[in-house]
Amino acid sequence: MNTAVRDDLRAAHERSLAHVVSPGARLSGERRRRIAEVAVEAYLSADPSPPWVRRFDDPALDVAYRLGRHAGTITKDWFEQMVTDGLHPVEWVEVVGVVVAALPPVAFARAIGSPLPELASPVPGAPTAREADELAPATLNFVPVAAPADRMPSVVQALSALPDEWNNLWQLAEVQYMSDRAMDDPLWNRGTLSRAQMELVAGRLSLLRECFF
Amino acid sequence: MLSWSSQEDGTPADVLALASGDGDAGLPHGAALMAFAEAIAGWDDDALRVARERLVADAGEAFMVDAAAVAANFEMMTRVADGTGALHAPDAMNRVVGVAAALGMALPAH
Repeated sequence: MNTAVRDDLRAAHERSLAHVVSPGARLSGERRRRIAEVAVEAYLSADPSPPWVRRFDDPALDVAYRLGRHAGTITKDWFEQMVTDGLHPVEWVEVVGVVVAALPPVAFARAIGSPLPELASPVPGAPTAREADELAPATLNFVPVAAPADRMPSVVQALSALPDEWNNLWQLAEVQYMSDRAMDDPLWNRGTLSRAQMELVAGRLSLLRECFF
Repeated sequence: MLSWSSQEDGTPADVLALASGDGDAGLPHGAALMAFAEAIAGWDDDALRVARERLVADAGEAFMVDAAAVAANFEMMTRVADGTGALHAPDAMNRVVGVAAALGMALPAH
């Protein structure tokens, strides 16, 4: 089946996959690519490990696996355990950013019955060190966020510690779902699904993932 | 969001259908959309193919593609929420507690 895909959606997914293999704030392109591979493997696995099994003895990869397949089981206690085991909280945010950059193109391709995208070779280079000017602990998230904390919804501030991860997340959301501006219009649509039909898909999938957001 | 948007466009949806997955939630193509979302959330590729083909037959390929994009977005956003321990703000709790209870869902807590 050769399915036609909107140009803006195809381009956003290509940008996201290029982002995955490029140096991040704290992690190299090679490391980010490996994190993405683990998350995609977990997402697609016919025989996944249970949530409590740490397959890699490597906190970043263990987080990627659990987030890829068992995201709803992640707790603040486990976050703190991974930090105790050596994963810096900002690295945790970068792992989340990589996973949520890698999975949407895969999930979309699988959904429409197209070949799954492959990750390119990692882009060489040192991490960029691009982080928010000031970080702050949040009460609405267990990860650090850009200061001042808790002035915006938790899912909006979630990746704000790392501007490049935040930007990639929202460039995907704009074409997969809708722009921030369109959110306030209950009648906005692309001429295919109505807004209510979009929310039906969003709500059913989120419920099956045991996520109330 | 489902309740609000469906009220505004004159086709009030049955929000509780989200929990059961039964029926069409009162929306055009609702049953095929929920079946497609459920198949995406599962790992049975044959079931996904059947759900995809049903939605294309019901509503067309471009409709299915945009539904897949929304589903991909929420594969992303649910992981952002779960992976960062996202909570609802206190001033939103009154609104969401009742909906969560009706859907049989637990709200996250730190």
